[in-house]
Amino acid sequence: MELCLFLGCNTPAIRPDVERAIRATMPVLGIDLVDSDNYVCCPAFGAFPSTDIDSWLATSGWNLSIAEEKGCDFVVQCGSCYSSLRMGREHMMHHADKMARVNELLEPTGRTVTGKSKVRHVSEVLYKEIGPETIAGQVKKSLKGLHGIVQYPCHTLFPSEVVGFEESARAPKGMRQLVEALGATVDSYSRELQCCGGAGGFMKSTPEQAIEFAKTKFDAILDETKADFIAVSCITCLMHMENVQNTLNKRVGEERYKIPVFDYNQLLALCLGFDPKQVASICNVSRDSVLSRI
Amino acid sequence: MDLQQGSIKDLWKAIYNTGDLHHCFNCSTCLSGCPASHGDPPLLVRNLARKVILGLEEELLNDDTPWACVSCSKCEEMCPMDVKPFEMILAIRQWQSANDETRVPPSIVEIYKRGYTQAVGVNTDLRDKLGLPELKTITNNPEQLQFFREMLMKTPVVSANDYMFGG
Ligand code: SF4
Ligand code: SF4
Ligand code: SF4
Ligand code: SF4
Repeated sequence: MELCLFLGCNTPAIRPDVERAIRATMPVLGIDLVDSDNYVCCPAFGAFPSTDIDSWLATSGWNLSIAEEKGCDFVVQCGSCYSSLRMGREHMMHHADKMARVNELLEPTGRTVTGKSKVRHVSEVLYKEIGPETIAGQVKKSLKGLHGIVQYPCHTLFPSEVVGFEESARAPKGMRQLVEALGATVDSYSRELQCCGGAGGFMKSTPEQAIEFAKTKFDAILDETKADFIAVSCITCLMHMENVQNTLNKRVGEERYKIPVFDYNQLLALCLGFDPKQVASICNVSRDSVLSRI
Repeated sequence: MDLQQGSIKDLWKAIYNTGDLHHCFNCSTCLSGCPASHGDPPLLVRNLARKVILGLEEELLNDDTPWACVSCSKCEEMCPMDVKPFEMILAIRQWQSANDETRVPPSIVEIYKRGYTQAVGVNTDLRDKLGLPELKTITNNPEQLQFFREMLMKTPVVSANDYMFGG
């Protein structure tokens, strides 16, 4: 199966090792990735979706036209990109006038959009299209003996009508089963479904409170689990959950918060035998404690 | 948008023109899972819905809290009355941006100029080291970038604030 890879901005610019992990692992599992030439920002919710409908949907339409031209669906890792593209497409599919307006704006650029290409999250493709059993069958180096916790990207859960793929958005199973397929034990804890708080303007407008909010989550992880690592599937969760730990350590004056954070495709890449230097080399919380045990 | 014309009573039509908004019965479910409700000042979706329905124009124009939203959409999932609170947050931001140019997010200028909020594709040495291909970015494609800009020029926010996008 062919999918068009939508990278967004943060992954290729700041965490290209995650991009490497996605490009390395998906073809092994039967997904061929096609590049999205000349794509633009998804658009991020804080950009055009916060100014007007025309610029928002025209930008979504520009991106969707790329996948349509290639004749396949998008696969996206960044939670915000995924949700923004899904919402943009949804608006156009449900409102013929909006779809017509977008095509009017696109026309001089030589592009069109019909909505025929869907937008899929990489964790959904792994969970539903490929499946945990197939993944388990490919594992060369297992995570056996390691405990992990999973961070469900809210942008893949809510609103379930628009972005969802779990049977229940209130009791999601995908990330857990995917990590278990690599041999790790996944611990549960009380704040598993709490958002990391890293996206949008929360951190920018009230950083103190945003850090306190994240602290409640990390304290629950430390108190209730034996987590050796955190598995995410969203670039914002990845960067925020690392950065917050460093900030918290400075506050408490000791190295209390030091759980390595991995994008799921990075863990998968390591288990498929790819070189950590290529697929998991960029981090702000050391990963040595996990890498040395795989 | 001419605010003088519509009476404040109908302000909701200018901001978030959906009948569902009026089904809001102040239950606060939208606050329970909202990360930004922990902010200071807190983002209180329920109160924003009230302000829109009541047409409190001044208060709404000066309210910064919609911009603290992390876009997690938990409120959208949980609201029992289908108010679609996250869409309402975006609608309030859109209305604020249209009526107060200082609200227009600088990130849209970045996107207009180079297609992205981050400098995508310039870290070629690092990408090379990781074994990654060169990206065909719009930043490096003058023809496509020009098309993209011309398209945006026809949209309300860019045409109304064209001085921001000069050059
Ligand atoms: S959501 Fe963020 S990462 Fe995704 S394209 Fe937009 S700005 Fe870039
Ligand atoms: S947990 Fe935070 S960063 Fe991750 S998807 Fe949810 S809102 Fe986005
Ligand atoms: S959850 Fe819905 S109905 Fe309840 S207060 Fe919030 S917006 Fe109103
Ligand atoms: S989408 Fe925004 S307003 Fe709704 S719960 Fe999330 S942060 Fe709060």
